[in-house]
Amino acid sequence: MNTRDLDLLSSYLDGQLKPSDSARLEARLSSDPDLRAVLDDLRAARGLLRQLPMRKAPRNFTLTPKMVGKNPPLPRSYSAFRFVTAFASLMLFFTLGLNFVVPQMTSQPPNFGYGGGGAPDLYAAQAPAAESSIATEAPAAAEPAEEPPLVLMAPQPTATIDSAGNSRDMETPAEKQGVTNETNVLEPPQAPEPAPPPIPQSWLIALAAVAVLGALIMVLMRQAAASRWRK
Amino acid sequence: MDEQALIHEAQTGNLDAFNTLILHYQDSVYNTALRILGDEDHAADATQEAFISAFKSISSFRGGSFKAWLMRTVTNACYDELRRQKRRPTTPLEPDTDDGEEMDSPRWLADPGMTPDQKAEADELEHALQHCLNNLPLEFKSVVVMADIQGMDYSEVAVAVRVPLGTIKSRLARARLRLRECLQGFSELLPASFRLEEGSNA
Repeated sequence: MNTRDLDLLSSYLDGQLKPSDSARLEARLSSDPDLRAVLDDLRAARGLLRQLPMRKAPRNFTLTPKMVGKNPPLPRSYSAFRFVTAFASLMLFFTLGLNFVVPQMTSQPPNFGYGGGGAPDLYAAQAPAAESSIATEAPAAAEPAEEPPLVLMAPQPTATIDSAGNSRDMETPAEKQGVTNETNVLEPPQAPEPAPPPIPQSWLIALAAVAVLGALIMVLMRQAAASRWRK
Repeated sequence: MDEQALIHEAQTGNLDAFNTLILHYQDSVYNTALRILGDEDHAADATQEAFISAFKSISSFRGGSFKAWLMRTVTNACYDELRRQKRRPTTPLEPDTDDGEEMDSPRWLADPGMTPDQKAEADELEHALQHCLNNLPLEFKSVVVMADIQGMDYSEVAVAVRVPLGTIKSRLARARLRLRECLQGFSELLPASFRLEEGSNA
């Protein structure tokens, strides 16, 4: 008995053969007692299996919410919303990072540390800024500057004698003004205008809106599933 | 019972709808597990696990035969149970006697309402068949249980065990032949109907 004949006989028993194959096998069965014996064996085995009593389930296998966990099953679309929300959030963080890093990279050359090639560049970059700062401050300092000699030709501080007989120098207004002017001049240069961010703000807003909306829908879907669960 | 409506409800998380399906199918699922595992307690455990697993993954059911889909779940639960048994072989649970020693034989398991002879006679065919089923390779056993005991058609069995139709035919034929060979060793224990059938083959 080869395996093909065995498969044929088993399928024939279940009526799974095509009519032509079935007729061919029946012709062989009529002339081959061994084949017929195998068919009878298969039929006997199947008959016995079919006689096996169906046992009644020993108890009910119905489920409780506790048995299947606290989380109710969510609709299929939930996973799509989860993906969209996660993707939008990821893109939002990425674009935020990009908008933060790129302007800094474009406006400030790298500093290579002490004595490095970067330091002169840094000064070079700052120098025009300082000049421009002075230049811009020139009109503000114009009023005192109209009397530059005043700084130089300021009256000598007058000494006053207090009641205790100690003398102390009195600061002149010009000196005060000079100090003020000095501080104005030494004021650190203003930071350069930052480069525009590579990703427009509208994109950030759109991504944030998608992320928030997706998260909101996910929460609502969870709540709806939970309410159905409690029913 | 509108099965499709219940399935749809269950897919939206309605546990009551799924429990209705469970009540309808639990005998079939339990019997499948019982014949694959050959042990009532393990079969009950596997059945419960199968229904829990089925509920959790019911959203993956895309139509077709729900029974076949359930059978796939219970077959997987049986495979898991058998793997668990291999990892942790259990020892028979035997109660202590009054003086604190374990009983030598599990006589306490016998139904007091039946004599051993009566019980053996009543379960003769079932025991012999179960013994032979237990000796079958797992992939043959699941196919023959579904096709010949549960009466599922070939395509349903193919869906349940996820193999091509040709493989189902082949496994079923081999399983039947092996069962027949095995049962011939129990000829004196088998009922008259089987012996008559056996005699008619000769």
